[in-house]
Amino acid sequence: MTRSIGTATLAPPRKSPGVVRQIVNQRADYLYVLPALIVMLVVIAYPIWFTIDMSFYKTPASLQLRDRSFVGLKNYATILSAPAFWAVTWNTMIWTLASTCFAFLIGLGAALALHREFAGRGVMRALLLIPYVVSAVAASYVWKWLYHSDFGVFGALSVQLGFTDKPINFLDNLYTVLPSLIVVNIWREFSFAMIMLMAGLQTVPEQLLRAAQVDGANAWQRFWHITMPHLKGVSMVTILLLMVANFNSFVVPWIMTGGGPAGASDIWITHIYQIAFGRQNWGLASAYSVILFVVMMALGYFYVKALTRGDEGRAG
Amino acid sequence: MSDRITRKGFDGWRWAGRVFLTLLLLFTVVPMVWMVLTSIKTQFAAMQYPPQWWPQEPTLENYTKLLNPANPAGADFLRYFWNSLYISVATTILGVGVAVPAAYAFSRFRFPGRTFLFFAVLLRNMFPAVVFLMPLFILMRWMGLVGSHGSLILTYLTFGLPLSIWLLKGFYDNIPIQLEHAARIDGATRFQAFVLIVLPLSTPGIIATAIFSFIGAWNEYVYAITFLNKKERLTLPVGIQKYFAEFSTDWPGLMAATFLMSVPVVVLFLVLQQYFVKALTEGAVKA
Repeated sequence: MTRSIGTATLAPPRKSPGVVRQIVNQRADYLYVLPALIVMLVVIAYPIWFTIDMSFYKTPASLQLRDRSFVGLKNYATILSAPAFWAVTWNTMIWTLASTCFAFLIGLGAALALHREFAGRGVMRALLLIPYVVSAVAASYVWKWLYHSDFGVFGALSVQLGFTDKPINFLDNLYTVLPSLIVVNIWREFSFAMIMLMAGLQTVPEQLLRAAQVDGANAWQRFWHITMPHLKGVSMVTILLLMVANFNSFVVPWIMTGGGPAGASDIWITHIYQIAFGRQNWGLASAYSVILFVVMMALGYFYVKALTRGDEGRAG
Repeated sequence: MSDRITRKGFDGWRWAGRVFLTLLLLFTVVPMVWMVLTSIKTQFAAMQYPPQWWPQEPTLENYTKLLNPANPAGADFLRYFWNSLYISVATTILGVGVAVPAAYAFSRFRFPGRTFLFFAVLLRNMFPAVVFLMPLFILMRWMGLVGSHGSLILTYLTFGLPLSIWLLKGFYDNIPIQLEHAARIDGATRFQAFVLIVLPLSTPGIIATAIFSFIGAWNEYVYAITFLNKKERLTLPVGIQKYFAEFSTDWPGLMAATFLMSVPVVVLFLVLQQYFVKALTEGAVKA
């Protein structure tokens, strides 16, 4: 054992000794990854395969696999021809784009404002981060109560400040429900963008900013031509992570509205959940999931590209 | 000339920043404050229009009820709390145990398939929990784990793993490999070099990863609501929903429960904040 773990593996690999040979030579390396790999295979590869397979079948509600029947692409046809599909897609796009944009911009503003040292800065950062660590379930209940149609804070405030005659019923109105949920989502995740960008700001060279100031560049020009280019990488990663998280969100719309009223706040994930665990139409839900896979793979491609930027030439 | 203009512009931006931060702080804090204020009202006082902005007769009754094991509501709440704690701690310990060697291997070794494996790990991040629900449900049923805490621990372990590996790899990348070389020259095996040299140096990374696993497991809702079917096995996020939706919603009680549920993660976060922030930004920011 000890002998097989030679120094050779710590050094850069020698010139292509053949893949099989290399695997045999470095078999000990796999021991480190093996536990993770096994867990991943069982709980990730299998479900993905299962979902793809299932999407071609009509399955009974009991989820007894031997009673299923092959229906080919019928599930996909059903999805694409249903008007609900396009409504849900539209909601998902609004939800994802609006949440991501606002969370990112607010986070950027906060990062810039917090970049300079001032008394109470640490306390402020900690307070702003709390919504990010509190559970989505807790946040959803608190906001549901804030939006409450009769006793909610916002409804009462809008009346007392003279905006409306009676409390607005934020969550039961077709037009206000999605924006109201997006606000909750922004509340939960802007601080994620904030700390990512605060870390990014530390990589902006101070001398460059000072030099630009000496040359007469105003604050906006310094920001746009010096700070922003340095934040490009971290911004990409942040935006992609936010998009993925928003695309995948479930808890906030599920607890606050359940996708209602009349599907006005139904997004992909809540829709799939309803089809699977509400209507128990597992085949259809699987087909939905496969379409989702494809979209996520596209996003994943960009995510990996953004992450691997500059990974070559690091340790090892 | 330029000096005067920039200084004036600069001050404007600074004030804009202060105003912005104040508004943002209000946006962040108001919901939390309202949660706490509601939790110390009676049901009667909470259900008033216009609302009592400040509770006229503050009471801790909602909290004593939830924390009293003799009270049925309290007994349930404390059981859910214990379930959540047990599952989160188990997930954290197992998760760190699996992620540490994997992350180390990803950071140090160049073995065939390494890049592929690493991206496979990362891609798991991309898929929503709901997509994995059905197949995992069937898998758990096949393994006879449905309804058990084991099913949740196993699930949380996997969905936390990619992130843990990614976070830890960032920390290992920053530990100079020369330290291990020196240890090897002094006669340590590679495994010894890993355990005796690298592991102690990566303690901050391990702490950070543990916080993430814990918070993730503590807050998880989707799998918990799907896999657990017995009332006494529920975790907090699901438990409070089941409990409060049965009757007409007891908002002050719900707010008190929400508050108590948030306490462990917020305290953990505040105490270990620097690790948390470092871990979150480590992988994404490269100078």
